[in-house]
Amino acid sequence: MSEMPNTSAAGADPEAAAASPVRRELGDAERRARFEAEVLPHLDRLYSAALRYTHDATDAEDLVQESVAKAYRSFHQYREGTNLKAWLYRVLHTTYISMYRKAQRRPQESLQDEIDDYSFYDEVSRVTGTSPEREVLDSFTADEVKEALAALPDTFRQAVYLADVEGFSYKEIAEIMDTPVGTVMSRLHRGRKSLQQALHTYASERGLLTGPREA
Amino acid sequence: METGDRPQCSDECREALRRLGALLDGELGEVTQAKLEHHLADCEPCTERRDFEEGFRELVRRGCTDEAPPDLRARILSQLDEIVTG
Repeated sequence: MSEMPNTSAAGADPEAAAASPVRRELGDAERRARFEAEVLPHLDRLYSAALRYTHDATDAEDLVQESVAKAYRSFHQYREGTNLKAWLYRVLHTTYISMYRKAQRRPQESLQDEIDDYSFYDEVSRVTGTSPEREVLDSFTADEVKEALAALPDTFRQAVYLADVEGFSYKEIAEIMDTPVGTVMSRLHRGRKSLQQALHTYASERGLLTGPREA
Repeated sequence: METGDRPQCSDECREALRRLGALLDGELGEVTQAKLEHHLADCEPCTERRDFEEGFRELVRRGCTDEAPPDLRARILSQLDEIVTG
């Protein structure tokens, strides 16, 4: 008889077997325990995101509470082994849209085309005659960062937040925001530039960027 | 007025600058990333620029850490008690 092949399909991917959709059959107690163990550790992050979404502490608490409730009700739809964090942010994002759509009186805002040409680095280099040191960034306070972020149009702020703070990939952000990857990339590009521009204004107002211009 | 163009700025530098965002986002393919990193290793101005843009992302991250109020956690837990899951 021939030898058994060295690689056997069974056991090659133990994850696959474990990830079968048995969640629906979990008992209430087990489901509750799992939800608390897996989802609640994300609470601070979700609250932080909700603050950036709503700009208001009370609204942020409401948004997180509603999102977590929604996530709990549909926890059976979440497949173990897939990206729980991205799934939670997707829930948060859609909950925000359904809770606050009516409150959004402003039409979908955009950013001016000129923003594409803006660069904090180049602008500071031009004004001070020298490349900005990284230390210049340390001078900004958390409040200034939050204020600059808050000034961005919704979709730009959300994209920048999801990428730079939460570290999601373009593809994950596209899924969370239900938008094409190309749109995510453009929102990120312009959103970051606009954010830099706002921070640049703060720095100028504080007289931080007045350097010798004479060569 | 031309900004961003340094006297020694080459096509390679311009290409690096164009892809810097995707590099920092970890969104470049392996080959492109290796090529870009190779250029950065040799080019001080581009490395400085990379460090600065990286610093900007860190600044945003640093500025956005908030802790959920303790009573929010408590309210969520008691809310879960009332939700009947199917």
